Amino acid sequence: MTSGHAITGAALSNCLGTDSRTAFESAFAGTDAFSPSTAFSDFPFATSLGVMPMPTIADEDRLACTPTRLASVALASVRQLRPAVRGAVERWGAHRVAYIFASSTGGLEETERSLAPDPRIPISGTRYRYEDHAIDATTAAIAQMLGIGGVQLAISTACSSSFKALASATRLIDRGLADAVVVGSADSLCRTTVFGFHSLGLLAPTPTQPFSRDRCGITLGEGSAYVLIERSTEVTKRHALAWVAGVGAASDAFHHTSPHPEGIGGQLSMRQALDRAGLTPNQIDCVSAHGTGTKLNDAAEAVAVQRVFERQVPVTATKSLTGHTLGSAGLTSLVLAVESLRRQEITPTLRATHVDETVGVAVVVRRTPTRLENVMINAFGFGGSNASVVVSRLA
Amino acid sequence: MTTVGVQILGASFYSTQHASAEDVVAGRLRTVTAPAFPLLVARARRFTSLATQLHMEVCGALPIDAAHPPLTVFATCHGEIQTAELLIADFRANAMVSSARFALSVHNSPSGLYSVATGSHAASTTITGGNALAAGWLEAAVTAIDAGHTVILSVADEPVPAVFEGPTQTAGMGAAFLLGPASHGGRRAELAITPGAHSAEIDTLHVLARAALLATSEGTGTVSLGHIQPGATLELRFT
Repeated sequence: MTSGHAITGAALSNCLGTDSRTAFESAFAGTDAFSPSTAFSDFPFATSLGVMPMPTIADEDRLACTPTRLASVALASVRQLRPAVRGAVERWGAHRVAYIFASSTGGLEETERSLAPDPRIPISGTRYRYEDHAIDATTAAIAQMLGIGGVQLAISTACSSSFKALASATRLIDRGLADAVVVGSADSLCRTTVFGFHSLGLLAPTPTQPFSRDRCGITLGEGSAYVLIERSTEVTKRHALAWVAGVGAASDAFHHTSPHPEGIGGQLSMRQALDRAGLTPNQIDCVSAHGTGTKLNDAAEAVAVQRVFERQVPVTATKSLTGHTLGSAGLTSLVLAVESLRRQEITPTLRATHVDETVGVAVVVRRTPTRLENVMINAFGFGGSNASVVVSRLA
Repeated sequence: MTTVGVQILGASFYSTQHASAEDVVAGRLRTVTAPAFPLLVARARRFTSLATQLHMEVCGALPIDAAHPPLTVFATCHGEIQTAELLIADFRANAMVSSARFALSVHNSPSGLYSVATGSHAASTTITGGNALAAGWLEAAVTAIDAGHTVILSVADEPVPAVFEGPTQTAGMGAAFLLGPASHGGRRAELAITPGAHSAEIDTLHVLARAALLATSEGTGTVSLGHIQPGATLELRFT
């Protein structure tokens, strides 16, 4: 596979590690990195969380914006991506490198901290600014740090946000509005999402068990994931880690928070991603599922996977490792998939030792070396918003 | 300068404080009037924010071919900011939150409700942030060209509650535009990324009103949609 868009940089940070190398080692080793919820705040119910250790920021790495938790989470990945972005700027010029940022909650944690203080959480040292609440609160500062001056967009479609951003990035390149795009996503833990998912009965009291017969909900996490994609040329092929072969998107048109029982939007988005990649379902070696661990979501996604692939394609659920990083979930799984393509092995799905046989998918429960050419990744969210991406190995 | 051509097949506008886009331009106010948003059935209307109602109102007024549902691009600077205030108030009161409010707190609530209301499986996205107006136009135009299909661009914002100490715009406003690629008919327009700093915040209400008026007339004119990248703005040109 050498068409599509070249992924010339990739980085992530989450509870598995604040740098990609550490996070990859932990992921493939199947490290359980979840913490008791008290590591973040006090909640009047049991749950665990994927809390990311806040990295130490050197003075020269500080962003020109309020140092919110969101900014710290994003910065951990941005710092790692800088060398790759520098190369893209040299190839194309700063004004031809765009930046698209995706998040579900943006600076909500900063707003909570200031307007609904929790004695467990330190009050921000700076005066509250409304601008810090916004999804794009960090956009200009990160673009400035990266030295890029192209088109800037911010996207927020709940848990599919980062894949919608990736779709937008491919269009900007295809239509000549950019030659390279930094696609980034970050979501930090905040009390609204913990209480909110609990209020919907979707928060797991114990660590999430995607596709397990005992699954009982989501474990929330926080983190960031960034990729640099570039127009496919002979030069960028030399720098490529993998390819974005195809992106698909569709809506469930069923219910705002519950998935269509047959995962109709997921089916459509996966088929569109395959079409755009010019691949058949048989050419997909692994599906990195949205796999939130809720009864309905996993069952619906499993139906969608069965309908599209009509075979027992290996399925992994990275939220068992990272927690659900909301708007960053898709890119988080994508960066792990790029590493899977490099290593030729699939990450384990933790706590799925008793796979729910009724869902009928082949869940990968332990680190599995195998031949991987193409991986399908799903990101589904509130609003019946579905997006799927195929990433492919270098030829 | 980079340009993107687009066809405009329809436009609609709503302001809680003005009876029409013409009244916005003329500065004529009316008694604050909430949108009727008939697109949503009774069950789906509960707990919807003003921002969502505005999106539904303007989207529902577009000439849509139900047999070929458009893709959708929703754009909002502030998202569900009034719902965010209510969630914060929940915290202050009892440390729990309303499940209905939480479910509808995401920026893409209007997108989800629209797809359910219309039964459309078409892809949708939501653009947000300070340059949502410009970025939304660019995203919608590029999507129409990429898909070779019609795209609804719906832009709406509700007033930001005072507790946030944010912008003081008091009108709820929305505008929707049905865009198509060059192969479609309609009114030809061009988006141009134009060098030049544009530091001042744009007046979204007036920009939307002017864009809607130009889109539904034969007049010529240029509307600045605000910054799209460092040192450049996006202009909507009707020639």
